[in-house]
Amino acid sequence: MKLAALMRKEFYRFFHDPRLIIAVLIPGVIIFLVYTVLGSILSSDKDETYAYRVFLSGDSVAVSLIGAAVEESGNTVEWVTATDAESAKSAVENGEATAFLAFSDGFDTAAGEVELYYTSGETESFSFGSIASALLREYGMRYRFQSVDLADESQLQSQFMGAFLPMLIVCFTFTASMGITVESVAGEKERGTIATILATSVKRSHVALGKIIPLACISLLGAASGFFGIVFSMPRLMGLSIAVFDFGIRNYILLFFLTVSIVPFIVACIALVSTYAKTVKEATAYVSIIMIFFIVLSVVAGIATGIGEWVVAVPVLNATVVMSLLLGGALPVWQTLVSVGCNLVYTALLVFLIAKMFQSERIMFR
Amino acid sequence: MTPIVVAEDLRKTFTLTRKQQRIERTREARRVAVNGLSFCAYRGEIYGLLGPNGAGKTTTLRILSTLIRPDAGDAYLLGHSVVKEAAKVRDCIGFLTGELKLEAFFTPDYLFEFFGAMHGLGKEEIRARKRDLFPRFGIDKFAQVKVGDLSTGMKQKVSLAISIVHDPEIIIFDEPTNGLDVLTTKVIVDFLAELKRMGKSILLSTHIFSLVEKLCDRVGVIIDGRMIAEDTLSALTAESSLEDKFFALYRQEKGDVI
Ligand SMILES: Nc1ncnc2c1ncn2[C@@H]1O[C@H](COP(=O)(O)OP(=O)(O)OP(=O)(O)O)[C@@H](O)[C@H]1O
Ligand SMILES: [Mg+2]
Repeated sequence: MKLAALMRKEFYRFFHDPRLIIAVLIPGVIIFLVYTVLGSILSSDKDETYAYRVFLSGDSVAVSLIGAAVEESGNTVEWVTATDAESAKSAVENGEATAFLAFSDGFDTAAGEVELYYTSGETESFSFGSIASALLREYGMRYRFQSVDLADESQLQSQFMGAFLPMLIVCFTFTASMGITVESVAGEKERGTIATILATSVKRSHVALGKIIPLACISLLGAASGFFGIVFSMPRLMGLSIAVFDFGIRNYILLFFLTVSIVPFIVACIALVSTYAKTVKEATAYVSIIMIFFIVLSVVAGIATGIGEWVVAVPVLNATVVMSLLLGGALPVWQTLVSVGCNLVYTALLVFLIAKMFQSERIMFR
Repeated sequence: MTPIVVAEDLRKTFTLTRKQQRIERTREARRVAVNGLSFCAYRGEIYGLLGPNGAGKTTTLRILSTLIRPDAGDAYLLGHSVVKEAAKVRDCIGFLTGELKLEAFFTPDYLFEFFGAMHGLGKEEIRARKRDLFPRFGIDKFAQVKVGDLSTGMKQKVSLAISIVHDPEIIIFDEPTNGLDVLTTKVIVDFLAELKRMGKSILLSTHIFSLVEKLCDRVGVIIDGRMIAEDTLSALTAESSLEDKFFALYRQEKGDVI
């Protein structure tokens, strides 16, 4: 009952103040606008049409379907029969050809196999790859479809999402939750209104949870706004279709859980230092340090390779590393589950600590 | 006369941080705020803790309202120990300070219901209390105006009403009129008198003699965390005015410093 009333008050505060709503949702909108404008400036030659040169081995009706789809997109395709697979692949790799499509023998009659080689480092190859894989996936019940990205590790585009999205998610979570959490916790402490609540018989842990849960939900909104801001502006910015990142639904679910698990943790972190701090100003200073720390960590996590499995036990960093894996197309199920579990345990610990701090007169009545 | 607040040998020592030491230009690492304080307040009376700045009044009242714990000693409110039964104590007291401590964003109506819920009251109970208290304080017309937009006097009335939403037996009030203008002061004095008529017991702290003279039935004089004198107002002021009596006590305690 009391917890419900505490939570309701926090939500009420947020949803009845347009300024707060705007402050939380604005990062996503700004990202979208900036990226879209940037995208249209950078790729003013975006409408340039491509003449794809695609190596082909084996044959299928799918070829003509792909051809039709390519023409529909305003591009042209020239099919070249591949003599051997290896030289076709290396031609794709060094940019002499757009892509290489290999159908197994009798693909249309028997349930066969089809492989698509492209390189995400080349815009042209990438755009063909997205058209072809979208089509092949759509009809992909009867056969096995595999698309292979031949881009080497240093090629930015394939790495873009993997390296920067986790960092951006961490960034958005911080920016979305920082203002409201600092205001709600340190602000109430500074103005003394929290003491009024602590003088009632409500449990300290409920006061802590009554703040963390609603603030985490609201921050999630902010993080989501940032996330969608990127996703929707990505095509404009990169001149690419996000359909290329067509991971399975399972990848999206894992990505979702990872995001959801770091938001409460980050909110709890901010709430903790806000509880400790004497004033909003002091709290903001602490939070900025923590934010920079986690952002640097997640940038490193996005770029560095070969981080050990121990990383799943490190809050926030675990989510960014596993997100990178996910966005790279892998399906790291146990890593996701352990990371989410760890983040939740850490969050619970922080909530416990905050409740303890509410009890501590040294902290509350400095 | 039934004792309603009984304090027994309360002690509280604070550790001063470096910063506090610097601000107060002192080398001492510890500050004894309350030093073996005992007193007794009776049902239906207004008890005033009178003392200069830094005497330990706020600390004492915070101990009584369970916001901080005493290092030693205990106090009993309606028989509940502030050390062992903090939650029970919180439900039978209303704690107030002169400074306004309500979130400016919310309406009196919302906050009243919120704090009612914090004390574990049901919806119906809260509504009944509201019907009783809002007209009594003249808040009903302003029930839907954000606290931040209210006049200081109205704000003070709202925080008074909210502090007694759960109909507490004991009201603890730290510096009720500190820094308030004459009108708001009158609001508070009237409120306390009204509470007394309603049969509540009140414990307040102040350094303003006239307030004590106007309201209190019983007075405890605190200096440096210790109870120097405790008696009924009439007994204390039998020979001289309260002010003269206080300074006599102060000189007796600290020597001829003033
Ligand atoms: N949290 C704290 N940490 C350190 N010292 C404290 C703390 N709270 C109070 N003190 C010190 O304890 C002493 C008593 O303080 P208290 O606030 O109880 O006095 P007071 O009688 O309410 O005075 P005032 O009239 O100024 O409100 C003061 O010297 C004060 O500096
Ligand atoms: Mg005081």
